[in-house]
Amino acid sequence: MLKDALEGKPLRHPIHPMLVHFPIGFLVLSFLLDLVSMAFPEVPNLVRGSFYAMLLGIITALLAAVPGFVDYSDIRRDHPGKTTATRHMTLNLMVVAIYGLNLWIRSSALSHPKISLLPLLLSIIGIGLLSVSGYLGGRLVYDQGIAVGRHKRRTATPQDTLYLSTGYLASGAEISFVPVPDAEQLGNGETLRVEIDKLVMTIARIDNQLYGFQEFCTHRFGPLSEGSFHGFNVQCPWHNSCFDIRTGKVTNGPAKVDLQTFKIEMRDGKVGVLVTKEHDQKT
Amino acid sequence: MKWLLDFLKGKCLGHPLHPILAHVPMAMWPGALIFDLLSQCQNGDNAMVRLSFYAIIFGLAAALLAAPTGLVDWSGIKREKPAWKIGLYHMSLNLIATLLFAVNLALRWQTFREASKVDRIPLLLSVVGTLILISSAYLGGRMVYEYGISVARMSKKKWRKLAAGGGANLPPE
Repeated sequence: MLKDALEGKPLRHPIHPMLVHFPIGFLVLSFLLDLVSMAFPEVPNLVRGSFYAMLLGIITALLAAVPGFVDYSDIRRDHPGKTTATRHMTLNLMVVAIYGLNLWIRSSALSHPKISLLPLLLSIIGIGLLSVSGYLGGRLVYDQGIAVGRHKRRTATPQDTLYLSTGYLASGAEISFVPVPDAEQLGNGETLRVEIDKLVMTIARIDNQLYGFQEFCTHRFGPLSEGSFHGFNVQCPWHNSCFDIRTGKVTNGPAKVDLQTFKIEMRDGKVGVLVTKEHDQKT
Repeated sequence: MKWLLDFLKGKCLGHPLHPILAHVPMAMWPGALIFDLLSQCQNGDNAMVRLSFYAIIFGLAAALLAAPTGLVDWSGIKREKPAWKIGLYHMSLNLIATLLFAVNLALRWQTFREASKVDRIPLLLSVVGTLILISSAYLGGRMVYEYGISVARMSKKKWRKLAAGGGANLPPE
């Protein structure tokens, strides 16, 4: 599938972060050559070299944008990293536009010994925005864990969280049955990310059975709804902790604490999850 | 001493430092190879030869800065973890690539001001160095995307709060 290829699944490594080295490196090189041309105008070919570096930077930026868009579209809509990703993308589009203009302006003065003020100014602005954008891109990986371990998952990850409610504050019952109609549509190895009165869980179908367990890994709280399944084990995409989804028990570290599990039942022909007051008191 | 380690880990930035610095050699050295190849089909112009020379220097400077940050990140990985070994290979390959490009640079030192074409031996060194660098960079990426090295290291508290709010079982603090 084209989407899987652009996400780098065959390589087991996302493509976008591989390609971004080039625009960042070349555009910084171009800026440095501009500065050197200001300091040492007697050195030949600096302005020309800067132009070539910038051209290469723009070409590679456009190449990197393609898998970038795919990665962006695959982030869950209510993921805390989504807004960072939107900013990252917007800044990058601005950077490409500014450098396109920059390249066009300087193309007519390649034999000058010194870079002129306007293109230099555009480069300063471009590098500034690029640094911020690159930093945000890094935060997406290192803070939000975007694309980390994504290649291990064979099925699509949830695009949204399903928000449901027990309504049991009104009824006062000890145990509530919350119907989750979407769970019936799940294929094998697919997951839902469900939030019931702030209680966040993953519902997964394995071997034609539905299982409910807490969304957050007990190691560094990675998203188990984006995990991969090996038999009845869910593997966290971030640091590969494994849990038995039937019992919640840790089957492989680094996690040491078991998961909370939720009972999935059929009542009156509806699939739903049982939420007890005890679960709720934790929130 | 602790402030230096924290700095090298990128704590003040809230972002590991090594992958930031690694962008530069990772772009510059394959870039040098591209410029070397372009110099082969140019006629009498010295721009590509110079550009390649500058790219190698810039890459070397950043590689020397990136090395201590990588070493600190690696020292934080437990020895029995698979990522430790990958880190060792990553480091060894990077050392080889850096040495190759240092030799490469020395070989061009006399000629880059005038030549319009990069010689065969430096060109060959660029090819070999770039291939080694790409393998090494792939391993570096695997450490992040397969084993989660440095992932959620600095955002652990933030995620813990989200998990606690979501009613999850938590590890002791």
